[in-house]
Amino acid sequence: MSVHVASLGIGRFGKRPEGLVDLAAEAAGLALEGIGRRPVDLLVAGTMLGHGVHGREPFLPRLAARLSLEAASGLRAESTSATGAMAFQLAVDALETGRFERALVVAAEKMTDRSTAEVTGELASALHPSEAAHGATMPALAAIVTQRYLERHDLPVSAIDAVSVHARARAEHNPHAMFRTPVSAAEVAASRPVATPLRLLHCSPIADGAVAVVLERGTGPATVLGMGQGFETMRIVDRSDLTTFAATRVAAQRAYEAARLTRKELGVVELHDAFAPFPLIHLEDIGVCGPGAAAEWFAKGWVAPDGRLPVNPSGGLIGRGHPIAATGLCGIAEVAAQLRGEAGARSLPKRPKVGLAHAVGGLASHNFVTILGAAGA
Amino acid sequence: MTTATPLVLSQCEACQTRFLPSDTPCPKCGSTRITPFPVPAHGRAIAATELSTPAPGWSAPHRLALVEVADGVRVLAVVDGELPAAGAAVEVQLTGSIYRTHAGEHGSSERGEGESPRARRRGPSFEPPR
Repeated sequence: MSVHVASLGIGRFGKRPEGLVDLAAEAAGLALEGIGRRPVDLLVAGTMLGHGVHGREPFLPRLAARLSLEAASGLRAESTSATGAMAFQLAVDALETGRFERALVVAAEKMTDRSTAEVTGELASALHPSEAAHGATMPALAAIVTQRYLERHDLPVSAIDAVSVHARARAEHNPHAMFRTPVSAAEVAASRPVATPLRLLHCSPIADGAVAVVLERGTGPATVLGMGQGFETMRIVDRSDLTTFAATRVAAQRAYEAARLTRKELGVVELHDAFAPFPLIHLEDIGVCGPGAAAEWFAKGWVAPDGRLPVNPSGGLIGRGHPIAATGLCGIAEVAAQLRGEAGARSLPKRPKVGLAHAVGGLASHNFVTILGAAGA
Repeated sequence: MTTATPLVLSQCEACQTRFLPSDTPCPKCGSTRITPFPVPAHGRAIAATELSTPAPGWSAPHRLALVEVADGVRVLAVVDGELPAAGAAVEVQLTGSIYRTHAGEHGSSERGEGESPRARRRGPSFEPPR
C-alpha cells in the first residue's frame, strides 16, 4: 500500500514568543488547511525537550485537544534530534496497516525559553551518561569526530567552512529559516570557538520551531518510496571508526533497497548538518561519493541548486535553525516541497522526481533515511 | 618513567572484550561478569577539544581527550593542563568516577599505530549503491 505526503506546514524557525503547543498547532494548521481540513484519524507527534508553559507537559493530548482531534488515535515519537523523522516513519507504518486513512505528523521544539547552558545540558542527555558525566556535550564529541575526519582525509579546517557558507547561502532564500543573511568563509573562520576546531558558525543554532505534514494512502509527487533506520553504540569510545556513521549506512541501505533505487536517481537530498563536518560524512555514508571525497563536492559547488546533486536547498540546520525534534521532519517536508513544486524561492531550477531526507539522532546513534518521489520513479 | 598507578580495564568473562569506563556492562555482549585487568596507565591521544560550554557540573574552559590505552581500548578523559596533540603520549588515571589525563612522560613510540590516518581503510557494512 502506498502512502504519500498530501500537504505540509513549516513554521518559521528562530526565537519565537509562542509556546510549544502554539508552535505545533500553527504548523499543524497549515498542513490541515492544505487538505481542506479533511478528517484525520491518526496524530503522530514528537518533541524532545517537551518545554511546556508549566514544565514538561503531556504533548500529545495537549496538541490533540488544541487541534480538536480527540476522535483520532495518537502516537508519540522520541529519538532526540531524529524525533521528527521517526514520527514520520511511524505514521507511514501505521497507515500501511490499513487501519488509518489519514495521518497528521507534527514535530516541535521550544528551546529559546532556557539559557544556552541549560539547553546544552539538556541536549547532553542525548549522549551516553558516562561521557556526559565527564563534561562532554554534543559539540565536544562532534569536535572529536571532526578532528578524526580531517586528519584521516588530510583536509584543512577550511573544508568545513565551505559547508557553513553553503548553508547560509541557501537559507537566504528560505522564508522559514532563522538566518537569512549569507556568511563568508572568513566570517566562519573568525567566529568564536565552541569546541575546537568547531566554531560558532560551524554549529546549527538553538531555535524554536515546528513542522507538520499530512500523510494519506495513495500516490502523488511525494510518495514514500523507501525508509530505513539504524542504530550505533552511543559511546564514542566503542566506535573504532569516527569518520563514518554506521547508523546512516544501515538506514540508507534499507531505504535504497525498499525503494529499489540507487543514489543515481536522487535529484535532491536534505542532510543533517547539526555541525558543518557532518554533511561531508553523510554524503559519503549515503553512497554519493567515496570516503574523503565529499569536501570536493562542497568546494566545487556540486551541491548547489544547479549542481550535480543539490544538497540542503533549505539551508539545512545551520541556516534554518535546529529545533531538535522538528528538524528530522523538516528535512522530509523540504524534500516533499521540492518534489511537489511548493518550495517557492528555494525551488531548484529543475524540479526533482526523487529526493532523500536524512536525520541523525544523538551523536549519530539512531539515524533515519526517507526516500520520497513520484510512484514508479 | 612515571610511577603512576596502573589503569584498571574491565575484561568481560563471557567474550573477553576489554573496555572502559569500567563501571558498565560489557559494551559488546552486555554481560555483567567482569574481571579487573590492570594495564600501565599510558595512552595516546586520538583527539582532544576545548569547549566553551561544558555539560552541567563543569566550568569553562573544559578540555576533553579521547585516549587510546592498552590494546586499543579507548576512554574519554578530562584533560589536566595543555590540550594534547593527536598522537601525543599521555597518562590516564581514574579519580572517583572520572578519568583524567595529562601529558605523558614516556615515549610515544612504544604503542602500536591504532587508528592512524590512512593506516587502514574503513570497512563499509554494505556496498554503497552505484
